[in-house]
Amino acid sequence: MTSIPSVVIDFASLNFATIVPMLMAIIGALVILCVDLVNRNLDKSLYIMLTILFLLVDLGTLIGYSGDVRGFFDLMLVDGISILSQAIMVFASILFIFTTMSKLRFQEFRYPEYFALYLFVVAGFQFMVSSDSLILIFVGLETASMALYTLIAMHNRKNAIEAAIKYFTMGALATAFFAFGSTLFYAVTGTVELGQISEILTNSNFENYPVILLGVVFLLGAIGFKLSLVPYHTWVADVYEGSTATLAGFLSVVPKIAGFVVALRFFEIFLASGDIYVEIILYATVVLTMTIPNIIALLQTDIKRMLAYSSISNAGFAMGAVLIGTTQATNSLFLYWIMFFITNLGAFTMLWLNRDKSKELSSDHSLEKYSGLIKVSPFTASMMGLFFLSLAGVPPFALFWGKMYLIGSAVNAGYIILALIMAINSAIAAYYYLKPIVYMFLKEPVENNNIEYMANSTTAVKTLIGFCAIVTIFSIFFVEPLLNIISYYVQISGY
Amino acid sequence: MEHILSILIFFPAFAALIGFLVKNDSIRMYAILVTAIEFVLTVFMWTNFDSSIADMQFTEIIPIIESYGINYLVGIDGISLFLVIMTTFMTMISVIGLTEKRNLKHLIITILFLEMTMVGVFVALDAIIFYLFWELSLVPMLYIIGAWGGQLRIYAAIKFFLYTFFGSLVMLVGMLYLGYVYYQTTGNWSFSILDWNMLVLPFDMQLWLFVAFFAGFAIKVPMFPFHTWLPYAHGQAPTIGSVILAAVLLKMGTYGFVRFSLPLFPDASVYFTIPMAILALIAIIYTAMVAYAQEDMKQVIAYSSVSHMGVIILGIFALNVEGIGGSIFLMISHGVVSGGLFMLVGVIYDRRHTKMMKDFGGLALVMPKYATIFGIMLMASIGLPLTIGFVGEFLSLIGFFKVSPVLTVIAGLTIILGAVYMLVLYKKSFFGPITNEENRKLQDIKGREIAALVPLIAVVIILGVYPKPILKPVDKSVSQLVEVMQIKAVNQSTKVRLLESNSIGEVKND
Repeated sequence: MTSIPSVVIDFASLNFATIVPMLMAIIGALVILCVDLVNRNLDKSLYIMLTILFLLVDLGTLIGYSGDVRGFFDLMLVDGISILSQAIMVFASILFIFTTMSKLRFQEFRYPEYFALYLFVVAGFQFMVSSDSLILIFVGLETASMALYTLIAMHNRKNAIEAAIKYFTMGALATAFFAFGSTLFYAVTGTVELGQISEILTNSNFENYPVILLGVVFLLGAIGFKLSLVPYHTWVADVYEGSTATLAGFLSVVPKIAGFVVALRFFEIFLASGDIYVEIILYATVVLTMTIPNIIALLQTDIKRMLAYSSISNAGFAMGAVLIGTTQATNSLFLYWIMFFITNLGAFTMLWLNRDKSKELSSDHSLEKYSGLIKVSPFTASMMGLFFLSLAGVPPFALFWGKMYLIGSAVNAGYIILALIMAINSAIAAYYYLKPIVYMFLKEPVENNNIEYMANSTTAVKTLIGFCAIVTIFSIFFVEPLLNIISYYVQISGY
Repeated sequence: MEHILSILIFFPAFAALIGFLVKNDSIRMYAILVTAIEFVLTVFMWTNFDSSIADMQFTEIIPIIESYGINYLVGIDGISLFLVIMTTFMTMISVIGLTEKRNLKHLIITILFLEMTMVGVFVALDAIIFYLFWELSLVPMLYIIGAWGGQLRIYAAIKFFLYTFFGSLVMLVGMLYLGYVYYQTTGNWSFSILDWNMLVLPFDMQLWLFVAFFAGFAIKVPMFPFHTWLPYAHGQAPTIGSVILAAVLLKMGTYGFVRFSLPLFPDASVYFTIPMAILALIAIIYTAMVAYAQEDMKQVIAYSSVSHMGVIILGIFALNVEGIGGSIFLMISHGVVSGGLFMLVGVIYDRRHTKMMKDFGGLALVMPKYATIFGIMLMASIGLPLTIGFVGEFLSLIGFFKVSPVLTVIAGLTIILGAVYMLVLYKKSFFGPITNEENRKLQDIKGREIAALVPLIAVVIILGVYPKPILKPVDKSVSQLVEVMQIKAVNQSTKVRLLESNSIGEVKND
């Protein structure tokens, strides 16, 4: 009889500190659930504030790290891009939950579970970016996704359930892809840790190449689903339409940054070794993701759907940075995403404030609803116009600097054609961003449409809008400090 | 004087912001005052401008994104000086002549923002800052055409925006590449044109970069065949929009060629001389013929603009001091003249709400003062000697004569064709019997219209008779530009070609 070797756990090597930030979010979620158990009649603003509070603590604990800390039997890896992406995600989550401070708190915010689930989502994504083990990435991804499906379903519109089911089904498929892809890598290399996979593959000179390539394709499918890369993007518009504007904004920013970090870690293995097939696959994916949704977006008559397709296209842009793979490109990926997040937060919050239940219009945010807005509500119109101009990449507004720096990094790495495709796509995108601007500024208002613009606004949300607007307009002054921070963290993790 | 350029850029912007607080009934006076102050400031700058120096003056630099070499860098030389003065002058004149009543406050605020971007384009010396103002100028113009324009205004506004936006993005890729080339050569990032002027680029690189910049500039100019947005934009824009579009926005494109394409890519400029000249020639002749076929007075002037811009391009690609200097003078004179003509059409449109030539006839009988001013402007547009239009056109053509006498002769047709369509316009609308009874009661120009038009006429005649105050500083900077081109050229043939076209039959301006 063989005896089971005793397992000795060294507490120091466990390095408990690596999971403290996520733990804050999880504890927060549990606290909210417990508070709800004790007293069911508390005002919902308490939960909002608790969420913000725990996320702030989460953010605070993050700042303490200086990179490349390992823990939990090497499962956790808190390196520079992990810290950076966690900080962006948590910060974005704080601002997005802030939008629920709106006047008419809709159905979903009557449940405290909403906030608990929200915190679980954040914690899940934090796990996802702080590991180079495919298993833990998988666990984080699933934690976040499960909670997200429920969040989407908690919406009082009839298409919310449809959206949630759609997201869930596609998500399940992606899960299967991920699991299968990981298995293939385990079969070839005998490990699920990306660092070791890289080492073994390089040492064995990419033996069993067809299997590896198959694994890459499956993992690209899984990551591509989260990042809404073409052709795994088909769920996006319906899910965005079915969920609330703020949740749609959240979906367009936070899960993707987690996906980008995984993509960075994963594709680095192949791009660094100059694998031509992976590069071609990725190149094609990037170009298609930029172009196809852009063209579909031209046909949309609903602003939210249009923004959904535009966010796919933007994901394609940012994915371009992964393809380019230089340090400058990685910097530009984060810069781009921060700028995109601020602008998108503003745009989706503006949609959220104008939510209404008028039955005459074809959809919640049809273009006609906004015609002549400049005469009815100049503030709403100018803010929305500003965010759309920023999304279109008109200087000096926020996203222009992201685009410029990204195209610049493509040019510097010799990807001139890619840079030109990016430029052409920006021009196509300008057309559909102009559409709402044309409706708001150049058309006459619709008579008797009974829409109350800004009906959902409160001082808190208006402050948020003001914050986004100021950052968007004066982003030129934030680029340099942001780049310094980003490049510091990117450099210490060696990307 | 150190911050004069920043003041010039940001004064209209601040004035625009404060304009939100001005009451509706006094906003027009506010606008006139603001634009007048801006104009006086530019004149003040001119008096402090040392025209014996060819280099940039009043430069100012503030780092913005240091790690990537982007600075707020502004400065002015003989080439841009008068474009800035023309910009502020035409903005002031167009605001004085403004008759629009709908939503006046928004219009004025938009114009003031537009003025900021226009001045910004002409004084920016950092490529990214240049691009920033260049793109930003589209937004107010989109609003002006789209909100105050005619029937097809939205289509026209979007077409204008998208066309120019697309071209500029290709240019942006070129700019970013140049920044990278600078980094590779020197180890530092820089987007300053002054730094870039030190670069010597290999020939093939120059070729594709020239094309990239061409995409941005040619659409803006607009050169044939990228000119199709312009008749729509002009046709639909309100008077003030057309005035500013023709007077200033189009000049951004030709200015871009002079500021970027020539000094940065001298060999490519020589290489592309003939293709550029042919495109310009097609524009000159083809659009002049199209102008002749128009029935709408405004469209005649719109197409004549494309035609005249062709002459400017021709002058620039003569690549000698007379040609480039002449084309810069022509930019200024075309700004004044075409702006004036659009204002004149606006005057008649205000009274009759039509710009069709067939609705008029015999206007000279009822509106003699108007007819006189129109006549002078028209002569200047044709390029009659002793008017402002003659000097630039003559110098541009004489410059190109050294390159190709044949093409110049063909281009010279522009004067004949221009005379044809302009005089036909004048004949149809102003001479003959009064065919339309409604026209009998038309009021002649008065008050504000005279205040706006008389300064234009004064400029047209004074500078037509005595252009030296402008030509001297322009030539100073242009000679330096040509020297830079000669020094930087990598091909021996380019050097020879530049030397040749600059030595024979030198026109002295001293």
